[in-house]
Amino acid sequence: MQIQGYLPRASAALLLGLGLLAGPAGLAARAHNKPLDAKVPEDALQMTRKMVCSLEDGKPIIHWWKGSMLSRVPGERDRVLFNVQGMNIRQCGTFSDPKKGPGFRSVSREVMLYLDPATDQVLRKWKNPWTGEEVNVVHVANDPVNMRGPMFAYNDQGKPHEFTGTFVKDKVWTSGEAPLYYDNPMAGDYQDLVGNKYHAIEMLNSFTDAKWLLDRKVKTLPTVTISWARLSDWIPWMKMGGRPGLVVFTTVGKRVATIDDLSEPLRSEIRNNYPLYLAPPPLDDARPNETSWTYIKKMVDAQRAAAK
Amino acid sequence: MNTKGKVVSGLLATLAVFWIGQPTDALAARKGKPVDLSNPEELFKVQIKASCSTISGKPTLYWWSGHMYSRVPGEKDTLLFNVHGMNTRRCEIKTDPKKGLCYRSVSREVMFYLDPVTNEVLRTWKNPRTGETVPVVQVANDPVNLQPTQRFFCARDEEGKPVVREGMLVKDDVVLEGGGAARLFYKNPLAGDYQDYVGGTYHAMEFGTTAIPLASAQNASITEFSDSVISWGRVSRWIPWMKMGDREGLVIFHTAGMRLDNFAQLPEVVRREIETNFPQYREPPPLDDARPNETSWTVFKKYIDAKRAADDQKK
Repeated sequence: MQIQGYLPRASAALLLGLGLLAGPAGLAARAHNKPLDAKVPEDALQMTRKMVCSLEDGKPIIHWWKGSMLSRVPGERDRVLFNVQGMNIRQCGTFSDPKKGPGFRSVSREVMLYLDPATDQVLRKWKNPWTGEEVNVVHVANDPVNMRGPMFAYNDQGKPHEFTGTFVKDKVWTSGEAPLYYDNPMAGDYQDLVGNKYHAIEMLNSFTDAKWLLDRKVKTLPTVTISWARLSDWIPWMKMGGRPGLVVFTTVGKRVATIDDLSEPLRSEIRNNYPLYLAPPPLDDARPNETSWTYIKKMVDAQRAAAK
Repeated sequence: MNTKGKVVSGLLATLAVFWIGQPTDALAARKGKPVDLSNPEELFKVQIKASCSTISGKPTLYWWSGHMYSRVPGEKDTLLFNVHGMNTRRCEIKTDPKKGLCYRSVSREVMFYLDPVTNEVLRTWKNPRTGETVPVVQVANDPVNLQPTQRFFCARDEEGKPVVREGMLVKDDVVLEGGGAARLFYKNPLAGDYQDYVGGTYHAMEFGTTAIPLASAQNASITEFSDSVISWGRVSRWIPWMKMGDREGLVIFHTAGMRLDNFAQLPEVVRREIETNFPQYREPPPLDDARPNETSWTVFKKYIDAKRAADDQKK
């Protein structure tokens, strides 16, 4: 599975980076009734782009998912800590390069809420069962979660883009994993020496019908279902410090047409507290990506500054 | 049905057998359509059609493929193997005067470890951490059944009240299931008699999702879904045949797949391996199968015990 062009980031974003980045319409007008052909790099790019977003520039695409977050600690049965509900809102823009051919780039924002596993209410505080401390819950709110640069029909080395989906019967899917291992924004300057790297893996499957993917007149796939999972070290706001253990997210979801189609309490929470996330960032967004780790660092730094 | 894990430790079993406790959104009833999915008994039938078939004894087949990674503190997760798995299953369907429609599933399951470069089934593997070349023991679990202690799942309880099964969600034009996990934590068949004291407990998590087109779910004349797609994942300790002993680390599986109509639809590499080395896995077990379930751990214990016995005889 190709994980080309993934962007290191903390939360559910791999919808974007994982596996699926590719290309725009255009070029193929000459044969617009012929199905897309994965062997043609420009077509393969369109197929990838359809799995990521839409062939229509600027069309907002919303992915929604729900599931749970569990702990894994050596020597104890895994615990369900939270239910989660999340969404990513994105749009794609078309690019063109004299050497690399047509291209596209996706820009997005993303929210994921931690919910009480019994009531599904949005959690504001959480009593950490291992430390006994009550901590503030910091929901995932990553703005932006973008492809760093466009993806083209041919890469810098001239290698043609490949669509790596699996076709079975009438279905097609992309499946991939992004192992993430890089300097932890919340850790020190000597991580190669003393450890504490950011360490996670994101896993995504996206399923749709082959007939829609291959039809060049279908600019936006009518139905895409997804499963997203993630394994990482403790989330910083849990204040678990260096204690052994991991968290695992496991979710199921799909594309939805509008914010109104999101589940509760996600829909209301976004409307009330994250209005920015009702729309994707602009197509020319050049900001660095946000992750839960960079986001919480800013928050903690601000709290510390205020306390002085 | 809950995530009390012991019932299932076969791999895909999680998917079809566990109804994971997720609060359901509205189960939208569609007017004018034959199947009312807001009715728990109808939803139960959907569950059977997703797991196997409403035709008693009819063999069904799921296939999935993906990757297995290692996770070791202090290093980036590493791709170790491609994996291909399949589960062949049938259900006994009966109707109880009080409890309504009931079913019990029996199945067999294989999953093969493939070279991530050549995509060929591996016979041996050089463990990069120990330097030792070890024989690869493929997953071959026969059976993976709903256990006799919980023999049948039924649409209604003893009092005749419909059992509400959370976990299935009608969303737009699909029926989704998943978002939870089977949390497995029990006595490790390969470890000793004092696991509560010195550790070694079997510790794993399995998570699956299913998506079924709503049109299929609403079609009363369909007896099993041929268009359901699945995801399956798993986090566990090292697989015993890796011979990692107490070394720190985990393995992570991540796969996608779907229902197939017949054995011939399996990828060539999977079909060939089953025909050559696991022929009994072409069919599910008989409906009255009462054997205890196998897991990779119990299968491996038999394998290693037999090997040790053979080695002793040579001495």
